[in-house]
Amino acid sequence: MGIGDIWNLIAMQPMINTLIVLTSYLLNSFGLAIIALTIVVNVLMYPLTMKQIRASKAMQDLQPKIAELQKKYAKDKDKLAKEQMRLFKESGVSPAGCLLPLLIQMPIWIALFQSIMRVMAVIPENLVGLSQYLYSWPVVYSTLPLTNEFLWLNLATGNIFLALLVGGTMWVQQKMVMTSTADPRQQTQSTMMLWMMPIMFAWLTMTFPSGLALFWVTSNVIRISIQYFVTGWGGLVKSAPKKQVGRDKKYKERIAQVEEAPEGADIVVPSSTEEEGLSYEESGGKRQDRGGGYPKSLRAIRRQPRRGRGHRRKRG
Amino acid sequence: MGIRNNAASAGKICLLVILLLVGLTVLGCIGIKTAPEGGSGGTIADGTLFLSPAIKQAGGFGCAPPSGGGKLVALNASDGSRLWEVPLEASKPAGGGFGCAPAVTPVAIYGKPAVAGDLVYVGGYNGKIYAISSSSGALRWVYPREGNLEPIVSGVVAALGKVYFGCSDGKVYALDAATGDKQWEFATGDKIWSTPAIGDQTLYIGSFDQKLYALSAADGSKKWEFEAEGAIVSAPLVYNNMIYIGSIDRHLYAVDAANGSLKWKFLADKWFWTRAVAHNNTVYAGCFDGRVYALGAENGEKLAEFDLGSPVYSWPVLVDGSIIIASEEGKVYTLDTADNQIELLADVEEAVYAPLCASEGVIYIYSQEQNLHALNAESGARLWSLTIK
Repeated sequence: MGIGDIWNLIAMQPMINTLIVLTSYLLNSFGLAIIALTIVVNVLMYPLTMKQIRASKAMQDLQPKIAELQKKYAKDKDKLAKEQMRLFKESGVSPAGCLLPLLIQMPIWIALFQSIMRVMAVIPENLVGLSQYLYSWPVVYSTLPLTNEFLWLNLATGNIFLALLVGGTMWVQQKMVMTSTADPRQQTQSTMMLWMMPIMFAWLTMTFPSGLALFWVTSNVIRISIQYFVTGWGGLVKSAPKKQVGRDKKYKERIAQVEEAPEGADIVVPSSTEEEGLSYEESGGKRQDRGGGYPKSLRAIRRQPRRGRGHRRKRG
Repeated sequence: MGIRNNAASAGKICLLVILLLVGLTVLGCIGIKTAPEGGSGGTIADGTLFLSPAIKQAGGFGCAPPSGGGKLVALNASDGSRLWEVPLEASKPAGGGFGCAPAVTPVAIYGKPAVAGDLVYVGGYNGKIYAISSSSGALRWVYPREGNLEPIVSGVVAALGKVYFGCSDGKVYALDAATGDKQWEFATGDKIWSTPAIGDQTLYIGSFDQKLYALSAADGSKKWEFEAEGAIVSAPLVYNNMIYIGSIDRHLYAVDAANGSLKWKFLADKWFWTRAVAHNNTVYAGCFDGRVYALGAENGEKLAEFDLGSPVYSWPVLVDGSIIIASEEGKVYTLDTADNQIELLADVEEAVYAPLCASEGVIYIYSQEQNLHALNAESGARLWSLTIK
């Protein structure tokens, strides 16, 4: 049994047959089945998604400190690396924190994507190909082939409305997670990403069957909702941050502890945003943090009484 | 993780992962064809083999045009020499939004050409029926004259002065064979990919709406309909006042040709896609489960089954009391109907989807690799092979 067979057995077959069964139970509407399965998969992946968003958020909150360290140790790369590592360690943030959940989710998204493509089976070759993925369930055989009509859409062909919707929702999602940075290079990179990804996906949407667009739009809307729950509108709305409550407040306090440690301490010696010469907004503080960026590792630390400025923290 | 500029690195890694995700997502499409390839298989009349080759799609997102296909080719059946070929191209670009779609694209042809009188008929995936002079290759007429129907996957049947075919718009059409004028149409509930069959002034055709229809060949009026448990893609077989037809619900059905009542049904492991063949009161049906089933024509009793090792897509043919049948992986078998013994005739080692055809002891097999193989039906010896694209 090769890798392809294993992939088909554990990912493609369950996904494809679920899509077909859902279609059967949802008024024989493949469009509704795509939306339903995308929601189900998102619900199952919710813990991973939250983990990823929180890790990204925590990373963003450290950006002002990182920028300062980069400025401070511009000529000493080894020292910079050391200090950055220490900053991450002390604040309980892992630079790769956003990676693992994303990597775990990737195969599932690819399987869902491929399943939608396969189940649509517009041309004879695809319908023939679909036959090898089916379980011996009568409901599967009686439901196929699926009709590609959903509302006014033909799910088998590209659709400009859905393409714009994909691009728009992706832009919103990107904008929400986008952070301001003093580094012009990073700022340019972020802006490029903000526009490139939505344009690229909108373009892809035009060239792929719109059943996929339905999947992308649904995913984006769900991600926007989760993101809102975790970080608020983030970079989308340039307003003063809401009063910090709950976990977010505690998390901010912990970051502040790290920031307020004195020069020469064993931990990273940060300065306040004023010392950095950055305004609150420039430092990323404009984000409305709703508490989701709070790393688990900080929970124990946050119970400690807050030390005053200049207090040297003991080790061990 | 000895990181320099950790934050920037993490950002870049995240960006890379996202791009990788997009890339893999796109790459996930590879293996899922997005454009039809066709490949009709051959039809022989008066020593001429008519064939529409398969299209090889370039794949990926490059601007390479598809290779081959989009034509009707006439060959000398004895040696494969080319007599003529007619390009069949769609005038409007069918490519995606990559800005490099060609001005014309080859038309995929799935159904076997049909020959009647001096005309050969083919139906294209572009929703057109072409009538072409069998001697010169000159285009005689095209239907519809303006615009296009939905894709035509069904084969064309020419009989009783008419041309019959099913269309993805769910309708059965009958055209005047000489002029291409529409005689009648009949609407079913879903797409039609099934090739019709004619028997006793009646046209039989299956539909995605899970029904087998019996229509008057003269005026298209419905005589009866039979409902299966799944969509019908395969072509019906008319034999001894019975209709044998397979479905993707994994059943082969035997239906009374007179009134559409079910006589028997046989359940296999996978879809029946290809048309069955009958001889000596036995029905032979190839299945996607890789087996050929020999069933009693009267009662559906399983007389024998033969494991070919890979699915059967192509129509088998009957040659001198033997069923010649090809598996997807290119193995060609001969099944002696006298004693139901099967043996390997040849191995063309290429995927075979197109219907087989036979004439004067020669089997013609067109592969998805765009090769046409002529085999001796008795010995399996390869007489010649040609690339037809």
